[in-house]
Amino acid sequence: MEIRPILSSLLRNKTGALLIAAQVALSLAIVANALYIIRDRLALTARPSGVAEESNLFRIGIAPLKDPETPEGELAMQQRNAEILRALPGVTSVAWTNQTPLSQSGWNMGIALKPSQEETTSNSAMYFGPDSIVKTFGLKLVEGRDFTNADIMEVDPDKTQTMGRTAIMSQALAKKLYPNQSIVGKTLYIGIGADAQPIEVVGVVERLQTPWANVGERGELSTILASRRVQGYSMFAVRTEPGQRDRVMKEAEAAVTKTPGQMVIENKTMDDDRFDIYRNDRAISWMLIAVTVLLLLVTASGIVGMATLWVNQRRKQIGVRRALGARQIDVLRYFITENFIITTGGVVAGLLLALALNQLLVSQLELTKLPIGYLAVGSLALWLIGVLAVYGPAWRASNISPAIATRSA
Amino acid sequence: MFRYYFQLGIRSLRRNPMLTALMVVTLAVGVAASMATFTVLYTMSGDPIPGKSDRLFVPRLDNAPITGYAEGDEPSDQMTYIDANNLLASGQGVRRTAVYGITTAIESGRPDLPPFLVQGVAPTRDFFEMFEVPFLYGSAWSADDDTARKDVVVLSRETSEKVFGKINPVGKRIRMEDAEWQIVGVIDTWNPLPRYYRLINGNGGSFTGADQLFIPFQTAVRHEMGNSGNNNCNGAGPTEPGWQGWIKSECDWIQFWFEGKSAADQPRLKEFLGAYVTEQKKLGRYPRPVNVRMENVMEWMQHLGVVSADAKLSTWLAFGFLLVCLVNTVGLLLAKFSARAGEVGVRRALGATKSEIFHQYLIEAAVVGLVGGLLGLLLSFGGLWLISLQSDEMATLAKMDWAMLAMTLSLSLAASILAGLLPTWRACQVTPALQLKTQ
Repeated sequence: MEIRPILSSLLRNKTGALLIAAQVALSLAIVANALYIIRDRLALTARPSGVAEESNLFRIGIAPLKDPETPEGELAMQQRNAEILRALPGVTSVAWTNQTPLSQSGWNMGIALKPSQEETTSNSAMYFGPDSIVKTFGLKLVEGRDFTNADIMEVDPDKTQTMGRTAIMSQALAKKLYPNQSIVGKTLYIGIGADAQPIEVVGVVERLQTPWANVGERGELSTILASRRVQGYSMFAVRTEPGQRDRVMKEAEAAVTKTPGQMVIENKTMDDDRFDIYRNDRAISWMLIAVTVLLLLVTASGIVGMATLWVNQRRKQIGVRRALGARQIDVLRYFITENFIITTGGVVAGLLLALALNQLLVSQLELTKLPIGYLAVGSLALWLIGVLAVYGPAWRASNISPAIATRSA
Repeated sequence: MFRYYFQLGIRSLRRNPMLTALMVVTLAVGVAASMATFTVLYTMSGDPIPGKSDRLFVPRLDNAPITGYAEGDEPSDQMTYIDANNLLASGQGVRRTAVYGITTAIESGRPDLPPFLVQGVAPTRDFFEMFEVPFLYGSAWSADDDTARKDVVVLSRETSEKVFGKINPVGKRIRMEDAEWQIVGVIDTWNPLPRYYRLINGNGGSFTGADQLFIPFQTAVRHEMGNSGNNNCNGAGPTEPGWQGWIKSECDWIQFWFEGKSAADQPRLKEFLGAYVTEQKKLGRYPRPVNVRMENVMEWMQHLGVVSADAKLSTWLAFGFLLVCLVNTVGLLLAKFSARAGEVGVRRALGATKSEIFHQYLIEAAVVGLVGGLLGLLLSFGGLWLISLQSDEMATLAKMDWAMLAMTLSLSLAASILAGLLPTWRACQVTPALQLKTQ
């Protein structure tokens, strides 16, 4: 290979080569980090919630126009609405609940192993309900059992602080509280100190995301309590037969509104909740994809522009080389090799730059460290783009007729 | 000479059309990406009440239990009903208000308009003057209405038009919470960005959503209307059940604001806050060491992280992209100018000084920047339109104003001149004799 003459000609005309190398370096730094962030965000949005067949589930919030002052009135209202919903054709399961996964609003409490602790052991999202939330959400019980009617505690927030007695926990929470033993049968506490409330765990579900689907382990720390809360406002999670959801939602709203003295506040599918909670992650992914594509296009266009210039400047030399016996493939190879050397220089500088940029992002924006794989993919992409971009001008160079050597400039 | 060089620059755009087009597009795309993302960041971090933001203060107190205390813990962002009441009565600052979020149903009584849900806030009367809320009809309720806990209400323009149409409804009544409320005022459209007066809210977040009605703070408490927003009990809930237990508890759920005479009141009010906590300690409250903050609007927004990390990330990457575009433009300009070494040689031989050549080529680079900037402006609007499709929040943020418009053009010009420096300098180095000889 004719590396030495290429190098010496490069050293004689450094500016252009340096510009291309700088461009490749900057592109690699940005592309590697962007790819990593895109991958990270997409992985975040793809996490399972624990809810089976999400597209068959919706939630409906029903509020009284005026609170039925008595507990009996409030319970009657809950009961009536549950019956209205259960009677709709296409409904397979209805559960009164205070929150659903991914809905971005709900309860969060501290859980402790003992009330005498200084601080609670873990936070947990708190799901309440007198019906089988496990069944309506379609959660997978991996240990213990679901609630029975005997577990359900009636809780009136105007009279008591207690939230419930019997609990089902997510596996993530169970592992955090008791890493080495089964949590089923254990007593835990909501809060600490004199007001700590004991709860007994009867079951563990494989997974149940919190309403906020937080990043990392925190997104799956959830507890379900068997309790009937005495209050006027009700939210129901409703599971329908496949394909029936949209019709059921319309009919549910109409049926609930028909009863005077109450209104539907929310009526939203779990699919929509999922769409909304990851809006920003999707937006940033698209923005990064756009930047990456544009960046690679700009870099490629820079290489094409510069290579065209060089070919034009060296038309005569190319002619002379051809006249002296160089084949077309030799000329082609010259330009491709030259570009490869420049790109490699850029890639090496780009690797360092990518790590530096990542360091900056880690320190300023709480991102994690860039895995090596993304650097490899980014480098490969830029090498490939370099070769593809230079191929056109190089091919035109190889077509320069040897006769040009005989003509004056 | 400037005009002549400018005309030459425009004429030169048609020379090497491919190369020129590439330059213009590169520059335009780079500028558009940077400006579109920067506009979002700029709106996010903007001052929502310029001229007053340095004398509106949020007091923060640390009323959490001593368990789990660590040096350097941040005080709460909101406060208890007890503290809000005490600070309202304190008479500190020029004005002061306590605010919390409410959700209620309005029964209009019109058969064609079923009861509908509205979200709003319950402040004291000073709220309207402190935050310069514009009134369309009527005015804020009186101080007496605050103390007597009267059922009076100020509606947003939207709510008023929904119920009454485009008339002045002041003096009319509406039905809410099983009571008759008298309308005392209607505010004009008022959407500060960010919604600094109640950033921790339950409707719309920092940038979207609007409050649809305003009722006196104490009246809302009398009606036992719960806070729609964030309630934080610091791990220790109320010790008594029900609403009375709630308002006597150490749970934080109220947003408090002081207005000072000037920015100089900030340290003085902070001192008062420290003294207040010391006083409360005597009553057996505040088990932690005195830990208070007094933040003005911009400090408060900074503390709550109103500007999202994602917005910063996008902007940084977009400016990185602009840098690549810049390097690319340098290369392309270099190519374009070096093809004209002969022309430079002739001009130099005919007596043009190096500085004349420098001017000519730099102006030519600036012309490329101008064209790129105009195209970039169009692309920025396209970019902002794409961003606004992402969410309601982005739709309110992705709006260009005159300052941004001017900045887009200047950025493009500055970028092209910066990119033109090296190629222009190279063009000046042409030795006339050598060039003429090769001709």
